[in-house]
Amino acid sequence: MREDVKNLKSVFEPSSIAVIGASPTTGKLGNVVLKNILDSNFEGKVYPVNPKYQNVLGLKCAPDVHSIDGKPDLAIFAIPAELIPDVMEQCGKKGVKGAIVLSAGFGEIGRKDLDQKLAAIVRKYKIALIGPNCLGALNPANRVDTLFFPFYKLGRPRIGDISFVTQSGAVGSCIVDMAAYFGIGFAKFVSYGNGLTLDESDIIEYFGADEHTKQILLYLEGTKDGRKLLEVMKKVNKRKPIIALKAGKGAGASKAAMSHTGNLAGNYTAYQAAFRQAKAIEVNSLAELFHAVNAFSQPFPKGNRVAVLTDGGGLGVLTADALEAESMRLAELSPATVKVIKSILPPYGNVGNPIDIIADSGPDQYRKALDALLADDGVDTIIVIVLFQAPALDSSILDIIVTASDQRKKPIFTVAVGGEYTNESRKVLDRYGVPSYDSPDFAVKALKRFTDYGSFLSKKKK
Amino acid sequence: MPARIPEFALLEKYGIELIPYGIAKNEKEAAKIAKKLGYPVALKIISTEIVHKTDFHAVKVGLKNEERMLAAYEDIMENVKGHKVTGMLVQRMARKGLELIIGGKKDSQFGHMVVLGLGGVYVEVFRDVSARICPIKRQDVKEMLLELRSNPLIMGVRGMKPIDLDALELLMVKVCRMMLEEDVLEMDLNPVIFDEHGYDIVDVRLRRD
Repeated sequence: MREDVKNLKSVFEPSSIAVIGASPTTGKLGNVVLKNILDSNFEGKVYPVNPKYQNVLGLKCAPDVHSIDGKPDLAIFAIPAELIPDVMEQCGKKGVKGAIVLSAGFGEIGRKDLDQKLAAIVRKYKIALIGPNCLGALNPANRVDTLFFPFYKLGRPRIGDISFVTQSGAVGSCIVDMAAYFGIGFAKFVSYGNGLTLDESDIIEYFGADEHTKQILLYLEGTKDGRKLLEVMKKVNKRKPIIALKAGKGAGASKAAMSHTGNLAGNYTAYQAAFRQAKAIEVNSLAELFHAVNAFSQPFPKGNRVAVLTDGGGLGVLTADALEAESMRLAELSPATVKVIKSILPPYGNVGNPIDIIADSGPDQYRKALDALLADDGVDTIIVIVLFQAPALDSSILDIIVTASDQRKKPIFTVAVGGEYTNESRKVLDRYGVPSYDSPDFAVKALKRFTDYGSFLSKKKK
Repeated sequence: MPARIPEFALLEKYGIELIPYGIAKNEKEAAKIAKKLGYPVALKIISTEIVHKTDFHAVKVGLKNEERMLAAYEDIMENVKGHKVTGMLVQRMARKGLELIIGGKKDSQFGHMVVLGLGGVYVEVFRDVSARICPIKRQDVKEMLLELRSNPLIMGVRGMKPIDLDALELLMVKVCRMMLEEDVLEMDLNPVIFDEHGYDIVDVRLRRD
């Protein structure tokens, strides 16, 4: 790993932070950033830097980096682009190893000269640089938060094991907010903007080695170095799943191509090929991204045989259709399982798969059926469909599903379709690490991706 | 030095076999080549000035004997009158089978890549292709085949035998090597006609700059 990539540790786990351009004026970038760092209860030292002030938000303010009484690990830049190279030089001399440049005004508006100047300094001191023109980084465990959005408007995710790399600050912030809302935990988040010296590949490589990261999300609009991205994805995806969303799929197919190939294979084709070659999990929308992420809280299945347990026949059929469309199989139930199911059904009930335990069933019937399915060697995955609307069910059904999932014997996916009451119930399942979906096809699509990745991993191990 | 087709020569350098052919300077040579290849044969004009040969009626296929071949030769020369001509390509007729396209291009971010899909006239209709970044291994080709909707045609459907997968895999790996080593910018082998015994590469388009 390159030295500056290793130094990302100073970005995500700094013991002290300097805010360059710290300001007491509400609404200024240097104010929001400093305020957010203080409000997130960062435990290390915080050094505001600004020649205009003696004090900012109750902290002593240094006139320049050189005068800081101590050595910051991370410097966050909230000053005009023109001024940044000189201050970065000071940071290098001071021994700063991580930098986040939030400011815009570099290559993206044609200032290649500023890009070159800044890159040279950063490389000289092997500083890990995030940006310029970015949202910065988030590490809930270490309470590092450089996102310049107010807390009351943009939720922050809890501590978790998912790390997220995004080029776009806008999409990034929306995903952060949604993750917080759905109760999905993050290990680390980074929006790298222009990616001047550290690009998506470098950050993926770092997350690959990061012990707190179990899953990597990637939002990508483009890359400057596809080969590098492919190699890094190949290496990292063998250990941790990379879930990727590529935006800008239409661009690049050249109508003027002399060959059929040139016409058929646009630039997105190359991205798609790379994801497939690395066995990364490609998703096609933000919704699919969350669907896939959810699945990975579960243990991997041994195969593609699925038992569908439902108290509503129709949803069972829809699920069976979705399974067929994704080439998944309905499991054949063992005689022992059939016996248990028969015992909980009224005499006229039919035992098959999907297992329709009908809407009269209460939590106890679900518990017995789940126990039998967990013990059935012919079943690799269980999809539990719950009609939360049914009068026979109370909220104890949530406890039963969570308890079954906590045994971590087999993946359990849940499907519940409905309105507010149902969705509130689903949220509880999600928070307890049981993936829930509001449509059978979403559940099955996520399960398919999850199963494929699991089988790729087990082949790798052999 | 006999006349050569640079694209063909490049493929041959990488052990990529084309359908048996010869290049004739005149009718007499054409007859000699056709006899060696065995009838039926196809004739195609070789000319840098003529890209879309069919538009000029400069391709004649299924020529069953020498008489018809010579008549076709005359026709073609008549049709391309006024254009600079290097020679006449005499090819053995291709086998009947499944038409695939094997292509390559150089992507600005990922570099050389290969494409495999349903070929011939179906290329633009179904756009059923799978792509990989070069280099690839044989295992990659196996995975590409699984991505194609036309997979059942390749694996054999309704009593049809599967195509020669071994030959396909080797061909793909060779094409990748050529793309990389020769820095090919764009390439079509279309169609490549497969049956259970092998394949015939009928036509090549290639751009290197």
